[in-house]
Amino acid sequence: MANKLGFYFNATACTGCKACQVACKDKSDLPVGVNWRRVAEYTGGEWVTNPDGTVEQNVFAYYTSIACNHCTNPICVEVCPTQAMHQREDGIVMVDESICIGCRYCEWACPYGAPQFNEEVGVMTKCNFCYDYLDEGQSPACVAACPSRALFFGDIDELRAEHGELAEIAPLPPADITEPNLVIEPHHNAKPIGSPSGKLINPEEV
Amino acid sequence: MQANEWSLIIFTTVMQMAVGSFVILGGVHFFATRRYDAQAADTLSDRALLAIGPIVILAMLVTFLHLGNPLNAPRAISNLGSSWLSREVTLAAIFTIGGAVFAFMQWRKISTATIRNTIGLVVAAIGLLLVWSMAQVYLLPTVPAWNSPATVVTFFITTLLLGSLAVGSAFVLTYQYLRGRNNLPSSDTQFDILSTTLRWIVLISLVLLGVQFVVIPLYLANLAEQGSEAAMASISLILDQGGALFALRLILLFVGAGIFSIFMYRSLSSESRTRMTGYLAYSAFAFVLISEILGRFLFYESMIRIGM
Repeated sequence: MANKLGFYFNATACTGCKACQVACKDKSDLPVGVNWRRVAEYTGGEWVTNPDGTVEQNVFAYYTSIACNHCTNPICVEVCPTQAMHQREDGIVMVDESICIGCRYCEWACPYGAPQFNEEVGVMTKCNFCYDYLDEGQSPACVAACPSRALFFGDIDELRAEHGELAEIAPLPPADITEPNLVIEPHHNAKPIGSPSGKLINPEEV
Repeated sequence: MQANEWSLIIFTTVMQMAVGSFVILGGVHFFATRRYDAQAADTLSDRALLAIGPIVILAMLVTFLHLGNPLNAPRAISNLGSSWLSREVTLAAIFTIGGAVFAFMQWRKISTATIRNTIGLVVAAIGLLLVWSMAQVYLLPTVPAWNSPATVVTFFITTLLLGSLAVGSAFVLTYQYLRGRNNLPSSDTQFDILSTTLRWIVLISLVLLGVQFVVIPLYLANLAEQGSEAAMASISLILDQGGALFALRLILLFVGAGIFSIFMYRSLSSESRTRMTGYLAYSAFAFVLISEILGRFLFYESMIRIGM
């Protein structure tokens, strides 16, 4: 069994510039409305009254860059009626566009919004980890583009050994559903999943 | 709501109605045969059986509208090992083909009644499995509004309620048609079959109506209790944005399956009131059909996935 690939995202370094998203879009020539990598902006905060009667705010915001997490338990592969959605030995989850019927069931199932429907061709598309770049010894486009060195990829076991196991912060779903091959270095303001204290403020972008 | 979800609303509702009709018709035929004879039992039920065919084929064709790439559609049955959608499509295909074979054999009286009944029983079982698998498709852990036992119960209520009322309407229609053409053999027997069937259908409707009115508040309360952002957004889509439609659905259901059914029961006291029975049966069916379509619309409309 080959080692599984995964992403490491350092939220303390991310500035929310979305270079990863744009590099991905450019590399795979994605149409309008299809964004394999997206950057979620999660913010919250309120007015807090101090004991001395003064009032100040505790506004916070942080970014989470998310593509397909090439999960250990990929729900998209499980529910796909055609087996177009499949997982390679190295853990990369791919959709065979010549088999896909475009029923969009994987889109309903995936809590990361990874499989996306391409209206032009009528089938699902998704992050393929830039497997062609990997074959050439290059990094995936998103990783290579990150100017603040917030995004990395590699053997998920090594990434976990180095950076820990955290894979769920708001606004992500619980990790136990699909076991994403993702490691997150949380922002110091990071909220737990399902937290009521903030909200995703760019839903139209993710 | 994507426009192509109309195809799913039509497919699931109509397919469930077809399965329900097939099952109810089988039950009616079984009891009518025991009480009278096979020929008497066939008179009203054969025509109703043949009516299911075009409805099922329509439902199957509509699903193609849902696909981005319909040319690959046959591949949808290739992941039976893990995909409920694959299982649903496969069972729908088997039900359609099996139902067609059975209807043809029954129509032309091919083979013996025992063999036909056995085939009918198998097809009915496949139909019920189909409804089960339809529900499983929506039990996604990532969609709180769907991931509920209420999805399974509601799909079966739709199946039996619409099936019963469709069979009821088909029976009255056939009875009046045959009587109008003076083509009704032993009309006393046929009226007895008609009225007994409709009485049972009324009872089934009232019970299912009761169950539905217990399940809906339990479902909403359970969803509210989960409290997640996705769950609350789904409730809001049903009760706020969809509030008027939701109320209309409940009213149509109550009037159709409840009030019209009770009046239909009372109209069965005399053969001379068959015309009134017909109006009530058609109205009950129409009201419940619209209610179920509205309910299914809200079901898809309330889809909010967790995560991002």
